[in-house]
Amino acid sequence: MNKKNGSLLSRRQFARRAAVLSATASIVPAEAFLPATSSAQTPQSSPQLSPQSQLEVDSRYQQILSLYGDRLDEAQKANIKKMCADLQPSLERIRKFNLANGNAPALYLKPLVERAKQPQIAASSKNP
Amino acid sequence: MLKESALFLSVGELARQIAAKQLSPVELTESYLERSQKLGPKLNAYAHLTDTVALEQAQAAEKEIHRGHYRGPLHGIPYAAKDLLAVKNIPTTWGAKPFAGQVFDYNATVIDHLNHAGAILLGKAAMIELAGGFGYMYASASLQGETRNPWDTSCWTCGSSSGSGAIVAAGLAAFAVGTETWGSIVCPSAFCGVSGLRPTYGRVSRYGAMALSYSMDKIGPLARSAEDCTRIFAAIAGHDPLDRSTLPIDKAAFTFSPVAELKPRALRLGWLTNAWQEKDYDSSVAKVIDAAHKTLQRHFPTMKHAALPEGPWEDAANVVLSCEVGSAFSQLIRSGKVSELTDPLGKISGYVNLNIAGADYNSALRIREILQETIAGLFDNFDVLVAASQPVAATPLNLDISKGLAYPDPLGAIGNLCGLPALSVPCGFTDKKLPVGLQFVARAGDDAAVLQAGRTFQQFTDWHRKHPNLV
Repeated sequence: MNKKNGSLLSRRQFARRAAVLSATASIVPAEAFLPATSSAQTPQSSPQLSPQSQLEVDSRYQQILSLYGDRLDEAQKANIKKMCADLQPSLERIRKFNLANGNAPALYLKPLVERAKQPQIAASSKNP
Repeated sequence: MLKESALFLSVGELARQIAAKQLSPVELTESYLERSQKLGPKLNAYAHLTDTVALEQAQAAEKEIHRGHYRGPLHGIPYAAKDLLAVKNIPTTWGAKPFAGQVFDYNATVIDHLNHAGAILLGKAAMIELAGGFGYMYASASLQGETRNPWDTSCWTCGSSSGSGAIVAAGLAAFAVGTETWGSIVCPSAFCGVSGLRPTYGRVSRYGAMALSYSMDKIGPLARSAEDCTRIFAAIAGHDPLDRSTLPIDKAAFTFSPVAELKPRALRLGWLTNAWQEKDYDSSVAKVIDAAHKTLQRHFPTMKHAALPEGPWEDAANVVLSCEVGSAFSQLIRSGKVSELTDPLGKISGYVNLNIAGADYNSALRIREILQETIAGLFDNFDVLVAASQPVAATPLNLDISKGLAYPDPLGAIGNLCGLPALSVPCGFTDKKLPVGLQFVARAGDDAAVLQAGRTFQQFTDWHRKHPNLV
């Protein structure tokens, strides 16, 4: 895909191959594919995680507690802990996906070649 | 006051009468306002009505049209705008208590476009708080409370463009403007039995719209038909120097061309076999979708089966969305004011969003790049992919959404992660008389294909002409 690296695969060929690899590598329980409105919920059970993954979850949870713990009640803390755990399989599937160094992110900076005059948004709104 | 039937006419039908001076924009506006005042509160459809603005605009439109200055098909047509679109000196609450007092001193570009087209703003449509970006468990996750479905007021409209869906379905306005980051136009359109267009990312300026996900937010119309969506889309699409994410002029603009209508292209339709899982289908919805499939087969005999590629697309979409929401509302989260949101989930999920690593976010964006290429390959064989808009119909108001609507949605993830256009049209009713939606999805930039497919479907069906009895 990445011609600079000497590969002969076209971008599209690479994408197709990646999709196939991904399809074979990501046979996951259906509940792992949850839309944004429902992924971070509080079902009764947490996903099974490796010790390393669990450490990452605990670390994320502790980070949140250390910064914001004083404003959360016990039920909210428990829910956040669960959400941290639920997020982990999603992150791991993303990390497992076969990405080459040349696979750039689909978010491009548009250089500000010509500046259009914009009203001052922050100053002109009466935010609480 | 006009008869109820007049208030359910399409934009095209209203426009013909207004252009012929057979229908007064003032009378039309007054009639919609009266109906909105009467039924709006019962449905929790509006954040607020803009009566004064509406009547001023209606009188101005009427004068212009009588002077012979007819601007086009939206001139004198009343509409509602989702309450995350800035309207000068009118409250714009984003559906959320922490922003209840917010007033902007400028218009969103979409509002300006509709002003230029001569459309009349009846009010701001209710919405899920912050467009549901933090997730939510209940339909009541809104400053206005739960929006009730006009087809069955014990059911929800879906979100986050909840008011926009209810307003169109209940005949409180001729059309509404909504937004979608993931499902927020397609789902309310399906649940409310209206036609809704989620345009290609970057075709409609988001300047003056609340940002939820900078790389996934889209603005589009909810209306009575695919043809109405076509007309409204033509008015609001276009490059905007104030929104640097808009496509270049030649790629963003959309023209409603009567000539093109006479020579529609032969669309290659692909019926998606894996947009939803069998186990998630409500049997009554499945029956309706099966009938819609047969209708399409009659009018698109070349239609074949198609399948979405497998991959961590929903994971990537979730991570992109979560991180961008966390960034967009970082101040709200860090200040603790996020606790003022209504929904229990909305109060806390932002803390998790802030703690996703930048490397994971960037990996998700790199997966998006691969997905774009993969999907482009799928569209080498098809112009339009078709599937049920949702596997279920409108759900009860008190349902825990985290359980009741927690099914995989790979098409929604792919469509929104890649910025693909989608059109949801009504295609029948369940045994409980709730509407069911059918969605058409096309390659990025080919909004014309989904609109053509939807219009063809509506030429041979009349589901879009049904409306609820609210009296």
